[in-house]
Amino acid sequence: MGCVHVISLLPLLIIAATSVVVLLAIAVRRNHAAAFGLTLAGLAAGICSTFFTPPNQATQLLLMDRYAFFFMGLLMAASLFIALLSYGYLAAREARREEFYVLLLVATLGAMTLTASSHFTSLFLGIEILSVALYGLIAYLRDRSLPLEAGIKYLVLAGSSSAFLAFGIALVYADLGVLDFATVAQRISSTQSGSALGLLIPGTVLILVGVGFKLALAPFHMWTPDVYEGAPAPVTAFVATVSKGGMFALLLRYFSLSGADRSPRLLLVLSIIAIASMLAGNLLALFSTNIKRILAYSSIAHMGYLLVAAEVSSRLGVGAGAFYLVAYFVMILGALGVVTLLSSGERDADRFEDYRGLFWRRPVLALIFTAMLLSLAGIPLTAGFLAKFYLVAAGADSHAWLLIFVLVVTSTIGLFYYLRVVGVMFHQPASERLVPEPLPRRTPAVSVVLVALSAFLIWFGVFPSPLLRLIQFAIGKIF
Amino acid sequence: MLRLLWLVPAIPLASALALAVLRLSQKTVAWLGTCSITASSVISLLVSISFLNAPPASGAYTQILWRWFDVNGLRPEIALYLDPLSLVMMVVVAFVSFLIHLYSTEFMSGDDGYGRFFAYMNLFVGCMLTLVLANNLLLLYLGWEGVGLCSYLLIGFWYRDPANGRAGRKAFIVTRAGDTAMVIGLFLLFHDLGTLNIQDLMHRAVLQWPIGSSGALAAAFLLLSGAVGKSAQLPLQTWLPDAMAGPTPVSALIHAATMVTAGVYLIARTHTLYSLAPQAQFAAAVIGAATLLMAGFSALTQHDLKRVLAYSTISQIGYMFLALGVGAWPAAIFHFMTHAFFKALLFLGAGIVIESLGGEHDIFRMGGLRQKLPVTFWTFLVAGCSLAGLPLITAGAFSKGWIVWGAYSAANGSAELWVVALAGVFLTALYTFRMIFLVFFGQQNSQVTRKPGPAMVIPCLILAFLSIAGGYIRTPFASYLSTVLAWNPGITRSPSFGEMFSEAIVALVFFLGLCLAYVFFLRRRDYSTVLASSPAGSVLHRFWFSDWGMDWLYDHLFVRPVVWIAKVGKGDPIDGFYAGVGRLNEIAWRGLSLSQSGRLRWYAAAVAAGTIVLIGVVIFS
Repeated sequence: MGCVHVISLLPLLIIAATSVVVLLAIAVRRNHAAAFGLTLAGLAAGICSTFFTPPNQATQLLLMDRYAFFFMGLLMAASLFIALLSYGYLAAREARREEFYVLLLVATLGAMTLTASSHFTSLFLGIEILSVALYGLIAYLRDRSLPLEAGIKYLVLAGSSSAFLAFGIALVYADLGVLDFATVAQRISSTQSGSALGLLIPGTVLILVGVGFKLALAPFHMWTPDVYEGAPAPVTAFVATVSKGGMFALLLRYFSLSGADRSPRLLLVLSIIAIASMLAGNLLALFSTNIKRILAYSSIAHMGYLLVAAEVSSRLGVGAGAFYLVAYFVMILGALGVVTLLSSGERDADRFEDYRGLFWRRPVLALIFTAMLLSLAGIPLTAGFLAKFYLVAAGADSHAWLLIFVLVVTSTIGLFYYLRVVGVMFHQPASERLVPEPLPRRTPAVSVVLVALSAFLIWFGVFPSPLLRLIQFAIGKIF
Repeated sequence: MLRLLWLVPAIPLASALALAVLRLSQKTVAWLGTCSITASSVISLLVSISFLNAPPASGAYTQILWRWFDVNGLRPEIALYLDPLSLVMMVVVAFVSFLIHLYSTEFMSGDDGYGRFFAYMNLFVGCMLTLVLANNLLLLYLGWEGVGLCSYLLIGFWYRDPANGRAGRKAFIVTRAGDTAMVIGLFLLFHDLGTLNIQDLMHRAVLQWPIGSSGALAAAFLLLSGAVGKSAQLPLQTWLPDAMAGPTPVSALIHAATMVTAGVYLIARTHTLYSLAPQAQFAAAVIGAATLLMAGFSALTQHDLKRVLAYSTISQIGYMFLALGVGAWPAAIFHFMTHAFFKALLFLGAGIVIESLGGEHDIFRMGGLRQKLPVTFWTFLVAGCSLAGLPLITAGAFSKGWIVWGAYSAANGSAELWVVALAGVFLTALYTFRMIFLVFFGQQNSQVTRKPGPAMVIPCLILAFLSIAGGYIRTPFASYLSTVLAWNPGITRSPSFGEMFSEAIVALVFFLGLCLAYVFFLRRRDYSTVLASSPAGSVLHRFWFSDWGMDWLYDHLFVRPVVWIAKVGKGDPIDGFYAGVGRLNEIAWRGLSLSQSGRLRWYAAAVAAGTIVLIGVVIFS
């Protein structure tokens, strides 16, 4: 491994170094603002580095290409926004705040590793780095019962799903003797009847279980609402975006490499998972009255939609998937940003009552939330609409009619619960008495985040061509 | 100077936006709302003067602001077109609007919705000017729907009374019937002729359609339907009397002077098309003639001062349609102008009367207001004489006499139409003086509680002046318009014996009506009561009072069947299907929610079970 390889690892190195620096800074002197500032600086430097780092295959494990840089940039940007959301949130709740940023950086590092991995070893490494940091993040508010419960649930389930994953990798290795994606993928598509031991396909399914758990795809989705509800709002945003985004980038890369679409049995499994996720996510959310749980169910459904792109995995499909992921990041971060902003010191604002008549109290905030929800529902002029549009176009291009049909039907069901929340916000209070508690004081960082995200939402929804060009540039190499 | 043309509609639209968005004090609202219209009318005057002094070579000035969109050959421009016809319309609309806004500043003072009122009114003026100045039918239609919207908003302005809301909806829905036909007409024109620019359209129509061809006929009839709806002509006139629910300045501006004449303008604007479709043109004449008679009879029986004026408006627009139908184009536009002056004045006077009596609308409870409201009386009298057509002096006599003569002498004129028009003159005189005698003469029945201030009186005086002076410009007006509206040889001839004779008969009929009104409603009121209570008389009275039973007819013909179908169709199987889909989703939610038990062991088991199923799928598939 030469100097060139080390340089091409620059984004990963920067984030790793930042986490160490923050850790050392904490050891010297606890200072929330300093830890926060260092984290922001590290993430910003990381984002910048993705623009000029030369692409390279750095060892057998990591393929640092433009595709990886694009998603790394996206993940770091999301982490940056989450750090901005967290600052005020932590300041109001927790005495020991600084370690949060270390965990955030490490988890981001894990997700970034996933985007670059070209080998099952780096896949496993990335997942574990991500998961272990996430346990801590989810249960970060140690003296409260809900986050603790969520943390333990996530710990047990993620642990067991990692076991499935490791076992699946072992089976694949036993059968093929290699673990790099390119070879494995080629073998899967070339051997229709299975390989020497017939373990390849079952092994791949077990790997899919591990991956599906991380992405919260049905039937491995059950942890999602509980963890979303229990975790602190910024961490929920992290689980929904960075953790899933890294995994999904890997999935897209793997499928575009492998042509898993050419193995009909895996294709069938994927279709089942995608359809089950779209149905389960949207149906479960219908009459739920907890905003964080609704967003959890909605994210299950959105991962189902994204799986359609992965399954299509044509150039069109990967482009659509990447666009969808960006749009999904924007709207989920925006929605959870509003939740963060409204949360009081005692509990997160996740009940319908917290939002009743919000429009009449905080019109701008309510309008931002409305925009995010409408985008999640896929209403035109928002990024969510175009994302879904490209997805359907890619699906139609590959004649995945059943998946598109389910996508359209479940999107319609989804409209119900998004509009329900919007309706609650515009519900005019019967009289002036209804001002339940003084709203938490405004935090400028969160406002900046929300305004920026709203701008992105409209920008990508109205004038998507710059983003599309960037995506085409990024995925240019993997085809 | 012509370049300022775009400001004429733009200023009212901008101030409407400002009035709607900003929260202003009543004083600022009045100031802003009136100044914008003042500016607009001053600019329209300046533009007109420069247009008259140095008319463009082509006889018209086109100002292209920007291209709206460009889809498949449809390239509507936001462009204004000024020629003698649109110039007359623009100046009259802007100027009358200005006077009525001035009047409203006082009339509406103290109303909760003061800002809202001026926002709507400004929006209306902007839309109306857009309609008048549009160079293509799509922009014209935008203005057309805009004024329709404002009409709806202003009829239901006092929305707390459900009856006003109903009146607004009725106006909107009834005119919608005509508008839909008009849109179909626009589609047809675009489909057959490939453009919506009015001038191009007329050129191509002449080239492409022979006279009486089915395309020209269909388009002309469809546009006529739109015009009939907007201008409250038979059979879509039922909305206008109910529209009087709005504030009186609204009735004066929208439902008398400007908007309701949009149909007249549309037909005049596209008159080339009508000369290709003589049947449609004749239909316009017949509709106008029938409407003017029917509405005249109805006006005779009304008790509500504003409803009398409403029927009178319908009847007068009937005259304009008659003029259009027979081909006396300039007479129609001339009558539009004089009508705008005297009818606006009548409504403004009625507003003063009603306000001063504390909201009393019934003319039988008024009386003797001559001494109490002298200025109002005199201006109202001038306007009434103009409406009824007091010969030689008033503007109305000039315009109406012209139409009556045109009904005989113009291209499509005939003796029958002439007689109908004369009968209309008689009816107009009768109901106008009935109203004047009942309101201002006789003994006083109620107390005057409020006197009008200067902002209400001055517009009345100006309009009274115009109601008289407006008539004397007939000859220059006619020669000026002749560049746009092709002459029909019948009415260009210099005062011939026929025309003098016709005018004399009109004068005679007017005095006959006046005398009858004097006898029945001032001298011997008991005669009219006897007449109305005789068996035949009471039936006729009730029949006319209810607008010839049209409301009853439409109620039974359209409203009830639709309501019935809606009621019957409420529980239909299709609805049941969708309700079932909803129920199914709910059941699915219930079922799935059970799985979210919150128990960790159950979750882990589900992961394991899912894995087993998926492995089963790959192994056994």
